[in-house]
Amino acid sequence: MSETCKVSSERRGDVVIIWTDGYINNQGGEEIAREAYVHLDQGARALVLNLEKTRIVNSIGISILIEVLEKVMDKKGVLAFCALTPTIDKTFRIMGLAQYAEIYPTQEDALRGVEPQSA
Amino acid sequence: MSPGPISSPTSLDELWKRIGGVLGGEGALPTRVAEAALLATGARDATIYLKEKDAWIRVGEKLGGPPQPGEIPEPLPERAWISDGHLWLPLAAEGEIHGLLKLLDVPEGEATEQAAMLAFLFGSLVGAYRLARQVRDAEFELKARLLELESLYDLGLSLGGQLDLSALADEVLFRSISLTDAGKGTLVLREDSGAVLLERSVGGEVIAAADVAGWSIPEGGEINNAAASVPTAGMRLSTCEKCLVVAISVGERRLGVLAVADKESRDGRVLDFTPTDARLLSLFANQAAAAIETARLHRSAIEKERIERELELAATIQQQILPHDLPDVPGVAIAARNIPTRQVGGDYFDLLPLSNGRLAFLVADVSGKGVPAALLVSTVHAAVHLQIEEAKTIPDLVSRIDRHLQRYAAARKFLTLFFGLLEPGTGRLRYVSAGHNPALLRRADGTIEQLRATGVPLGMLPSASWKEATLTMERGDLLCVYTDGVTEALDAAEKEFGLERLSALLTGGAGKSPVELCRDVFDSVGSFAHDVPQYDDQTLLLVERT
Repeated sequence: MSETCKVSSERRGDVVIIWTDGYINNQGGEEIAREAYVHLDQGARALVLNLEKTRIVNSIGISILIEVLEKVMDKKGVLAFCALTPTIDKTFRIMGLAQYAEIYPTQEDALRGVEPQSA
Repeated sequence: MSPGPISSPTSLDELWKRIGGVLGGEGALPTRVAEAALLATGARDATIYLKEKDAWIRVGEKLGGPPQPGEIPEPLPERAWISDGHLWLPLAAEGEIHGLLKLLDVPEGEATEQAAMLAFLFGSLVGAYRLARQVRDAEFELKARLLELESLYDLGLSLGGQLDLSALADEVLFRSISLTDAGKGTLVLREDSGAVLLERSVGGEVIAAADVAGWSIPEGGEINNAAASVPTAGMRLSTCEKCLVVAISVGERRLGVLAVADKESRDGRVLDFTPTDARLLSLFANQAAAAIETARLHRSAIEKERIERELELAATIQQQILPHDLPDVPGVAIAARNIPTRQVGGDYFDLLPLSNGRLAFLVADVSGKGVPAALLVSTVHAAVHLQIEEAKTIPDLVSRIDRHLQRYAAARKFLTLFFGLLEPGTGRLRYVSAGHNPALLRRADGTIEQLRATGVPLGMLPSASWKEATLTMERGDLLCVYTDGVTEALDAAEKEFGLERLSALLTGGAGKSPVELCRDVFDSVGSFAHDVPQYDDQTLLLVERT
C-alpha cells in the first residue's frame, strides 16, 4: 500500500469511477474530494468509489467522504462504494456512510447499481 | 466608512425578496449565506467563519483552514469592525456569537446598513447551522467510540484465529493507525534474543526497528507531544512531530512495540495524543500480544515438526543403508548392532561377501550427528560399494574413499574407519584402521589383543596414506570392532563404560556366540548408563572364525 493515497478517475457517461490506492486520511480524503468535485461540477450524476487498494481509513477521511456524500446528495446524485475490505465495510456502516450510499462487492455490481432505474 | 452597532432591520421584507432565492438554492448553507451577502451588499468577496469548540474555522464548499493568526481579535468585539479593508460582522443569535461574516470592499452608505441587517438575519441561520453541525459532530464522535469498541471486539475475534504472524501484524497496525487518526505507524516484533523478527510501517517509519532492544516503555505507553528530536522510551524517532508508543508484552516478556505518530485534524494541524489514545492503543497491544504469542508458538511447533520429519526421512534413508540381514559366510559367525542416539546417527557398518568366500567388513564413525552426518555416511556407503571392485588393495580402497570424500563431502568433515578383509579358510585377516578406536581381538584362550590405527582418519589430510596390517585369526578367535559410543557411554557420575569393561565381557564370554555376546555388551552398557541419556551412536560388530 502506498504511503500517500493516490487517486485516479475515469468518466463513463454520467458516471465517474474513482480509484484509491493507499491510506484515506486527511490527504487521501482531500484528493478524493478534489477529484469528485471536479466531476460533479462538470455534471457527473453518479460517483463509484473503488477502494480495492485501500486498507486503512481514519475518521478524518470518513468525515471528508461524508462531505462528498452531502455534496452529491445536494446535487441529487448517487454515490456508491465498492471492493471494500471487511474492516472498512464495517467502519462505513457504523459511521453512517452506508445509510445514504450503497456498498457493492465489485465495481461491476456498483456500476449496475447506479444505473438509473427504468420505469 | 465607519459602521456603527448592528442596527435593527427596517426593511427585512425587501431584503428577503432580493436574497431569498439564493438562500433557498443548492449548496451548503454557509456558501449560500456568503453568496447572499455578496448579492445584498455588492462586496467583492464574502467568507463565513464558524466557532467550533475553541477555534474559528472557515466554512463554505468545504471546511478550510483557520483564519490568519491575529486576524480575529480576542476578545471578540460585539459590534462590527473593519480590518485590512474587510468589514467583519458578528453573526449572533440568542446572545451568542455563532459565526463571523467577512466582506471585502463593501460600498459605503446603504450597503453598510444592508450588511447590518444581514448580520441580524444570518445570525439565526448560522446559529441553527452551527447547532446542526454540533449535533452531527457529536453523533460522529459517538459512532467513532462505537467503532473503537467494535474494533477491539473484532480484533479479538480475528486475531484469535490468525496464525500468520505477518497478517496479524498488518491487522493490528492498520486498526491502530486508523482509530487513533495517526498519519503513520510502525509495529516491530522481536525475538527473545532481541533480534528483529518483523517490522511493518504505514505512512513512514515512526521508530527505528534496531532500537527496540533498548526500549524502556512504561506501563500504559508513553506519549511524546514534544519535538520529535526527544527520544521516546529510549528509541530514536524518525521524522514525526508527535508520537505515542506502547509495548506489546506477555507478562514480563516484551514481544514488540506499537507506535503511531502525527495525529491528524481536519484542518491539517498535528494534534496532541491524549491519555484516551494511549489507553486505546494499549488495549490493542494487549489483544495483539496474546495472538502474536500464539502465532509464534504455532510457527515454532511447525518448524519443529518439519525438522523432525526431515530427521525421520534421513533416518529411514540411513536404515536402508545399514545391512538388514547379516550375510551367511561359511567359517564365520557374525553379529552386529547399531543404536543411533538421535533419529539420524553418524555410525555406519557394512558386511560384503566377496569372491572365494572372503568377507569384507567395516565400521565407520562420522564426525558430528544428525542430517549432515547421515549425508556423509551415505557418501561413504556409495564410495565403498562403487570402489570395492576397482581397488587393488585395502589401502588403495581407503585412499579412493578418502579422495571421494575430499571431493564431495562438506569441509571439516572426517570419519574414522576400520576396514577388514577375512579369508575364513586360512584365517588371514588384512585390515586398515583409519584413526579408529582399537579393535579388540579375543583369542580363543580369552586373551585380548588391541589392533591399533594404521593411519589418520579419512577426510582429515589432503594426501594421507594408510598401511595395511595382517594377522591370522585362529578358530574361536573373535574380532570386536566398535565405535566410541560403546566405550564412552556415560553413567550418572559421568564415568565412561571403558575399554576394560568391554574387554572383560569379551573374555568372560568365551563359548558364547557373537549374537549372545552382542546382546550381553549392549545389556551391560545399558545397565551401566541406566537412564542417563547418551549423546553418541553405539555400533558393535563381532566376527568369529568358527
